[in-house]
Parts: sequence; C-alpha cells; structure tokens
Amino acid sequence: MVRGGILVKHAAFNTSLLQYLACPLSKDPLRYCEKSQELVNDSLGVAYPIIDGIACLVPSRGRLVEKLPKDPEPDPAAGR
Amino acid sequence: MWSRELFCKAGKRILLPAPGEGAPVAAAQRLATRAAGEFSASGDEVGDRNADVFDRELKSKQRDRAAWFMHESDPILDTVTENLLDRLQDCKRMFPTALNLGGALDHVQRMLHGRGGIERLISMDTSVDMIGRSKRLAAMDGLTGEEAKRSALENMQIIADEEYLPFQAGSLDVVISSLGLHWVNDLPGAMSQCRTALKPDGLFLAAMFGGETLRELRIACTVAQLEREGGVSPRISPLAQVRDAGNLLTRAGFALPTVDVDEYTVRYPSAMELIEHLRSMGEVNAVRQRSLVMSRDTALATASIYQSMFGESDGTIPATFQVIYMAGWSPDISQKQPKRRGSATVSFKDLQTAFPPDAFSKTSDDPKSTSTTKSITELASESKERERTGQNESEETSGTTRLPSGSWFKLD
Repeated sequence: MVRGGILVKHAAFNTSLLQYLACPLSKDPLRYCEKSQELVNDSLGVAYPIIDGIACLVPSRGRLVEKLPKDPEPDPAAGR
Repeated sequence: MWSRELFCKAGKRILLPAPGEGAPVAAAQRLATRAAGEFSASGDEVGDRNADVFDRELKSKQRDRAAWFMHESDPILDTVTENLLDRLQDCKRMFPTALNLGGALDHVQRMLHGRGGIERLISMDTSVDMIGRSKRLAAMDGLTGEEAKRSALENMQIIADEEYLPFQAGSLDVVISSLGLHWVNDLPGAMSQCRTALKPDGLFLAAMFGGETLRELRIACTVAQLEREGGVSPRISPLAQVRDAGNLLTRAGFALPTVDVDEYTVRYPSAMELIEHLRSMGEVNAVRQRSLVMSRDTALATASIYQSMFGESDGTIPATFQVIYMAGWSPDISQKQPKRRGSATVSFKDLQTAFPPDAFSKTSDDPKSTSTTKSITELASESKERERTGQNESEETSGTTRLPSGSWFKLD
C-alpha cells in the first residue's frame, strides 16, 4: 500500500525476535524455516506462516506438519 | 480449547490434519487438555469455547476496518495512552524489551519517546491491517528522519492472539496494553500468560474500559429496544468493573497490584457521531449473542432518546468513558513482602505513647471540616463514656477520637 507517497518494502522476518517468541499453544521455542517462510514447533508439529515478514502466531493459522525433518505438502484449505 | 474449535464450527475446518494420519490430531487434543490445565487460572474446567462472550474473528475484521478509519491522533486514545506511559516514568527501573498488546497500538508507539528505557517494542495484534499500520508508522519515522530518540527504538511486529500469548517464559521486561484487553474472552488466563512471559520483577501496565463506559448509550439502546422490539439484546459489550480489576491482578499472580480509575466525558453533536467515532477506534460490538439486525426505527429511536435524556443545553450529547488503569509486577524476591502473621514486635498501645494525639491535630479554618469533626466527635464522645480508661479534654479539640476498641481514629 502506498501511503503519503512512501512505499514500504516488505522486509524479511526479523530473526532477533526468535529469542522471545514461542509457540502460542505449548510455549516451546520455534524454529525458523527460511525456505517455506514458517516458524515451526517441532515437538508439537505445527507450523505458523510468516506473511510479508510478519510472523502470524495465531493457533487457527497454524498448519499441522509431520514431525519428520522433510518439508510437508502445502495445504490448500489452510489460512484465510 | 482450540481443538474443539476445529470440529465444533460447522462447515469450517481451521486446522487441517495431514492426509491419512490421525496421530497429529490426537496429539493436538492431548496438548489442548494439558494447555488448558496449565493456563486456565481456575484450573477446574477446560472452558467451552462455544461459550465465548466475544467473537474474536469478527473483532479482528473490525479492527482491520478501523485501521483505515483511524485518525493520526484521537482525543481519547491519546489521553489514555499518555496517562499509561506516564506510569513508566514513575519507576526507576529500565525496561529494555516491551510488548505492546493490541488496542491503541500505534499511539503507544508514537508517544513512547523512549520512556522507561524501552529499546525494543514488539507490537502485537490479531488484526493484519492494524499491524501493517504500525509497521508503516515505524517506517515513516525512519524515513523522515525524526529525532534520534524515536529511531533508537527497535520496532517489531507480530500477529498473535492475546489469549494465546506466543512468548517464552521470562522473556519480556514490560507488557503495555492500552485499551486492548476488554475484548478478550479469558481475561484471567490472558493476564496469567502475561505474568509467565514477564521476567521476575517485570511490569504489567494495562488500561481498559470500565463498567461505566458508554453508560448513556447503553441506557438509550435498552429503552429504545424495549419500546420498539419488546426485548433487549446486548449492544454494549460487558466490561470489567473496577472492583474486579484488583482481583484480576491478584488472580493472575501479580505482586503489588495497583488500580486507579479515570472518567472522561466526550461531547458529540449527536449519537451518530459517537457511533462513527467508536467505529473508527474499532470498538464496535463483537458480542456473540448480539442481535445481527438493528432496524432503522430502533437506531433513530436510540439517537432521539439519547438526545432527550442526556442532551446538554447546547444540543450536544455527552458520552462517558471510564478507564481502569492496572499495574502489577511479576513476583520477585527483591520486592517487599508483608510480614508473617504474629510476627509483630510493637503493639498499638506503644504507638499511642510514642505518638500522642496532639501530634496529629490539624488546624483547619474550613467551617465544613470543623462541623464534620464536631459531629463525629459528638458521636464518639458517647461511646467514650462507656470506656474504662479516662481521656483528657484536649483530644476533642485536636480532631482525633478514640473508638471503643481502643484504636485511634484520625479525622481528616
């Protein structure tokens, strides 16, 4: 959105936030997956999306993933 | 808990399990039960999400809309935020990491000016557009080269729900919530999570709307609905009472709780402007049980009843906003603790000899206070006659009286 002539570039996710953030459900620390742009809670198997560089840590936006290290298939119905 | 949300909402699947696997769903359910037991303050019941008072998704959409309507400066939000941030200056402690819970997000960001030694401000809201607005504000300050104080503040944003706080235990120094907690369903739970996320001796500052807010609008809506529709549906959301605020803080586990109340009266030309203003702040009704239809007749009746019942002489209408400011500290051994019962070393009698009543006498020229003193003294003197210990005349004139129990009662 251009507002007042200033275009805000969509910045990358600020990784210094990782020291503060945790999974909203279990409060476990999260792992940043740069490839899929998600914050993953490995112990629970939930991945939260990062939209435009802003982490979206709402439980309803989470995506259940396999607990194995391979990348899960994208779910078409997840997210709004 | 959230796992029920998945399956209880008809036709809407929020979390989709991985194809052909039931294990993640079972794990999620187990976790939900564990999480409920851990985070719910009462600990007895899990809490049926269908009994939620507020519709959080709707509230998030309303705030999305408000993000575009909101003006740069809003009289109520500015005043409340200023009062709240002032409290940071009352503390000698520095708070490097701060969490800004939704509500007047960008007002807090704009008016902080480095108070409380805040270096990192993490802004959090459920609404995507509100966060976008906060991000643009942060970017604009940097580009226009504002004073060094503001650019020294590191701004970060996340989208999260206040009821599921995504922070590690002991990671934050201060949590600031300017008018953000009155749409939360599980308020004790949310505050409990804030306390867990705070470091020991961390500060929790919140301002929320109290029970007297929009009292006039509530009365006008109720009367209009009774007249036109014969029934009442909640038009104003249920708000915390002042007497509950202290309990909320102690229940969440905060030490040294402080609560104070402020009432602001704002004047509008008519009820429609009031509704417009509420809409621009994102404070529109999101109660689940609300009636989804408001007929034009009822709306006009509300406006006219408001005008006739509460209208001022110049034709404007007042609206009350009662704000409860709460402050609490997360427990730490460095804080003063009350002494154990029975550990007193001084009795009241010793205090009476150490501080004779003459020391507290107040010379007041105000006739009102003198008359009050006299009446209470008269009452007390009757009870004094029943006492065994004698008293001198000077006590009556000095303004202090002695109750039958033997303790001193000082009159202001």
